[in-house]
Amino acid sequence: MLSFVFRKIESRKWMVLSLLVGNLLMIAIAAASPMYSRAVLQRTLTRSLSDYYAERNSYPGLIVVRSSHTAGKREEAEKTVRAAQMLEEMRDRLDVPALYMVTQYFKGNVKAVHEVKVEGWKNELALRIACFSDQTDHIKIINGEMYSGKLDGDIFDVIVNERTFVEQNLMLGEVLELPDLKGASSYRIRIAGIFENSRQQDVYWVAAPTAWHDVCLMDEGLFRELFVQTEDRGFSAEWYVMLDYLGMRGDEAERYLSVLDEYFAEYDEMGYKSHTANFRSALEAFVLQAQKLNTTIVILQTPIFVLLAVFIFMVSRQLLEMEQNEIAVYKSRGADKKQIVLVYLLESVLIAALSLAGGMPLGLVMCRLLGASNSFLEFVERAALPVESGVKPWIFAGAAAVFGICAMVLPVIRYAGVNIVAHKRGKNRKAKRPWWQRLFLDVTALGISLYGLYQYNSQRAYLAQKVLDGASLDPLLYFCSSLFMVGAGLVVLRFFPLLVRIIFELGKRWWPTSLYASFLRILRTKSNQGFLMVFLILTLSMGIFNAQAARTINANAEERIRYAAGADLVLQEVWQDNSAMLGEPGGGIDAAPGGSPGREQELVYEEPDFGKYQMLDGIESVTKVLVDKKVSVSVKGGKISNALLIGIHTKEFGETAWFKESLLRVHWYEYLNAISQNSRAILVSSNFRNLYDYNVGDILTYTNGDGDSMRGIIYGFVDYWPSYAPVTKVKGSDGLYEEKDNFLIVAHLSQLQSSWGVSPYQVWIRTEDSSEFIYDYARETGTVYAVFEDAAAELIDLKNDPIFQGTNGILTIGFICVLLLCITGFLIYWILSIQSRTLQFGIFRAMGMSMGEILAMLINEQLFITGVSIAAGIAVGILASRLYIPLIQIAYTSADQMIPLEIVSVNGDYIRLFAVVGLAILICMLILGFLISKIKISQALKLGED
Amino acid sequence: MESVIAGKGIKRGFPVAGGGTFWALKGLGLEIMRGQLAILKGRSGSGKTTLMNILSALDYPTEGEVFFQGKNIAQMGEKERGRLRRVQMGFVFQSVALVPMMTAYENVEFALRLAGYRGNRRERVEECLKMVGLGSRLHHLPQELSGGEQQRVAIARAIAHRPEILFADEPTAELDTNTGLQVVKIFKDLAAMEGVTIIMTTHDTGLMEIGDVVYQLEDGEFVA
Repeated sequence: MLSFVFRKIESRKWMVLSLLVGNLLMIAIAAASPMYSRAVLQRTLTRSLSDYYAERNSYPGLIVVRSSHTAGKREEAEKTVRAAQMLEEMRDRLDVPALYMVTQYFKGNVKAVHEVKVEGWKNELALRIACFSDQTDHIKIINGEMYSGKLDGDIFDVIVNERTFVEQNLMLGEVLELPDLKGASSYRIRIAGIFENSRQQDVYWVAAPTAWHDVCLMDEGLFRELFVQTEDRGFSAEWYVMLDYLGMRGDEAERYLSVLDEYFAEYDEMGYKSHTANFRSALEAFVLQAQKLNTTIVILQTPIFVLLAVFIFMVSRQLLEMEQNEIAVYKSRGADKKQIVLVYLLESVLIAALSLAGGMPLGLVMCRLLGASNSFLEFVERAALPVESGVKPWIFAGAAAVFGICAMVLPVIRYAGVNIVAHKRGKNRKAKRPWWQRLFLDVTALGISLYGLYQYNSQRAYLAQKVLDGASLDPLLYFCSSLFMVGAGLVVLRFFPLLVRIIFELGKRWWPTSLYASFLRILRTKSNQGFLMVFLILTLSMGIFNAQAARTINANAEERIRYAAGADLVLQEVWQDNSAMLGEPGGGIDAAPGGSPGREQELVYEEPDFGKYQMLDGIESVTKVLVDKKVSVSVKGGKISNALLIGIHTKEFGETAWFKESLLRVHWYEYLNAISQNSRAILVSSNFRNLYDYNVGDILTYTNGDGDSMRGIIYGFVDYWPSYAPVTKVKGSDGLYEEKDNFLIVAHLSQLQSSWGVSPYQVWIRTEDSSEFIYDYARETGTVYAVFEDAAAELIDLKNDPIFQGTNGILTIGFICVLLLCITGFLIYWILSIQSRTLQFGIFRAMGMSMGEILAMLINEQLFITGVSIAAGIAVGILASRLYIPLIQIAYTSADQMIPLEIVSVNGDYIRLFAVVGLAILICMLILGFLISKIKISQALKLGED
Repeated sequence: MESVIAGKGIKRGFPVAGGGTFWALKGLGLEIMRGQLAILKGRSGSGKTTLMNILSALDYPTEGEVFFQGKNIAQMGEKERGRLRRVQMGFVFQSVALVPMMTAYENVEFALRLAGYRGNRRERVEECLKMVGLGSRLHHLPQELSGGEQQRVAIARAIAHRPEILFADEPTAELDTNTGLQVVKIFKDLAAMEGVTIIMTTHDTGLMEIGDVVYQLEDGEFVA
């Protein structure tokens, strides 16, 4: 049986090979997505916890539970035992390696009295007596000695840190009385030694001991003996678990949260209401982000899966059709239906096993590629993702493999029931219209997708708000775009025969023989070429759609960052001023009567040297920009406060700021040139015209925060300006986002400075290459910046964002898959179509047709089938992009979206796509030529009728 | 009587794996006159199809000459031979070799197009199909016709452009005896009506008496 299967495979090796390619890609992609999302989420989690560590200098992974009482009842003491047990249970349940688990017992606010009284010193102290489990491992004695751990009469030893020692005026060896701790017996303490933490950085100490000023540490055993096991002396307890955040697993985040919730609820019941886990908010944010990422991945991958499924289905069906005759023969010779199915099952399992063996490593490679993707079709060296295979990828890959097997075996079950007679009879039946045409599935799909588009378009604002609130994009929306492409492709196919018929009928009398034959062929054979056409249309349109979606998402995000920043680098040093000498009534230098107080009291700034920036290496241009967000303008019928004033030097500003030309109807330099003619000329935002009826030539009076006014002549209206947001979305009290108009005035900096004096301005820099130099400069000179914006650094952050990275990676891989499938599908179709027509070509040749004519015939077929598909694919792709990308873009919006979205297409992508399709056609033609030239007419004629 | 096709010392050798040559035709000579129905007879492997391919300009002889209307076609280039096949020859093949996606009418018309037929194509097509008794099945696709009907379409196609000579390679091989006889009868009628010369191969001894001339082949040589 097996050798039979092998022989069967060998006879159809090309088909089997392409089936293998399809299965391989499917399995690889199926396996890569869970691997990637897990790896990238792990990286995200670790990074966000590390950021937390860096920002707050507090080790993430800390769980703290505090007992809430100091009463010295027996049951309270027992509760603390239970509480400690619970914490251990919780730690085990979380299953994250714990660095430490610390129990702290203490008695706060213990009154202590110096035995030896010193004049002028405070006699009574309030101390805290505490012990931490395993504290001796984390401290060292720097003076005196360690506590003894034994009660010496009524005296026990304590040690203190340096700060406590100094602040409380203690002396080594000194004994203090604890008058409040009398009860059965009274106690005294002896200051045995001074300690400090043995290591500088030690996560054991939740709060570093150096900061303590009233803590006396004593032996843990003794503390228990004296205070815990005694009924009438209250104490408090705190428990810390320090988890190793590097050991936290992204895919377990939700479980961690539920375990925390469960135990915290139990603590609440016990009355221990004070508990925290400092990594909790990071985890919660992470879980949201993970959901968003997973949805995004699913959404983006679905079309690729659909395409792959179509491909596998197409090839399997083709293979079966070729073998249908053989199946019928076996059947007639008495082969059992079971045996036939078994043969195919064996074959497909073999293919699936091979694909699985190759697909998993390929998936791993894809996963790495995803992690290295920087932009569409662009990869960078980046720290490798911590990729593990795990169970999930295997499940996904297995499902994909099972799909491949089903696609091949299920149709066989139908075919296996047909014997040769029925097969021949079936073959003679006239081809009906494909089922989807009879059911009008194409029109329906198109209709649904357009209805969806209409629906979503009318809820754009709502969608954007949902995204801003943290939801991910509705998968149905993406589904609509795929449905649109499928529907449109099928509609094209429906009308394709009509088109060919029209062209054919138009020139029926004049067509050369070869074209006549090829037209007839295109018109009369339906099913195969139809599949190829749909496939080509889908491939091209999805390729274009993916490319444009990725480009658009990237470009818009990058532009948003650049626009919002205004320039590559925006800096403002901390300016020294005379404010310290002003403002205090009755004091200061201006108290002298007779002077002019208004003048004297003015705030005077000390301008930092600007020239040094012009000297820096790595700067292309630099300019001063005054940015004042608190300007008020009196307008017709009211007053605008908080308008944005930007003071510029026109020439330098034009050279330095980043601006997208297409945002304004004329080049923005024209505006700069216009105001450069007059020192009092200003540019204002268009809303001055739209809301307050200002016109060019009108005078506008604006006032700064100090109450100084300026008058400017309006020379132009602009919708956009570097760093200016025309509207801001503000979340209202009802949770809805409202749009608020922002007003802008652009004036000459020199004019502002000469009237208002020099006030802190920003330094805008266009960098030559990287922005690295400014960090070096700041470090070397110790310059401190009040404003520091580095667009390049923000761009890098953006590219490291897992959702962006995943989007780019998946769209890129999808695109590459599409290209591969395109070539394979194309080759299969044409090779089969030639092979199955060897006899026909022989006849044509025998009847006197030349090689050239046969080639012309094939080229004509290509022109119509491939050419029309390519044209339709491109048209559908572009149309789908125009219609749906603006909606998909919403998923990547942010609240500070300032400039309008624009669909971006990069010609290079088209060139790549066409180059690949062109290459496929070329290879095809070469193979065709080779196959045809090999046909010996005399032999061709002798082939059987099939 | 005028000679339509004549061969002199036709040899055809095929290289054999391991060196040497297998001679399928070992130096044959023949001459067929206008309007004759010539039959090449022999068991399979006797070389009759090879001879037929050489006579019909589908294959070149290794040695020897073939004259078609006085011209040596063994010396002609592919292009000229293609024109010859298209215009002056007609073919009926062993396997029914109709173009599957063309109707009977279109199959016949296609041959006319190829030959560059200058008359009224529609009339000629209908005339030819009537001649083979298929006047009522013009617009059927090959798969909707029976084997005998398909072969009759093939014959109509082969004669439509009024060729000088018609080659038929085992035209009855895939037909039952009765249908085969009918087909051969059509050939006979055609030869009489249209004045076409016909060369036909067969291994069916029952058809022998229909031929005007019979050449019997055995191992690449004629036997009396």
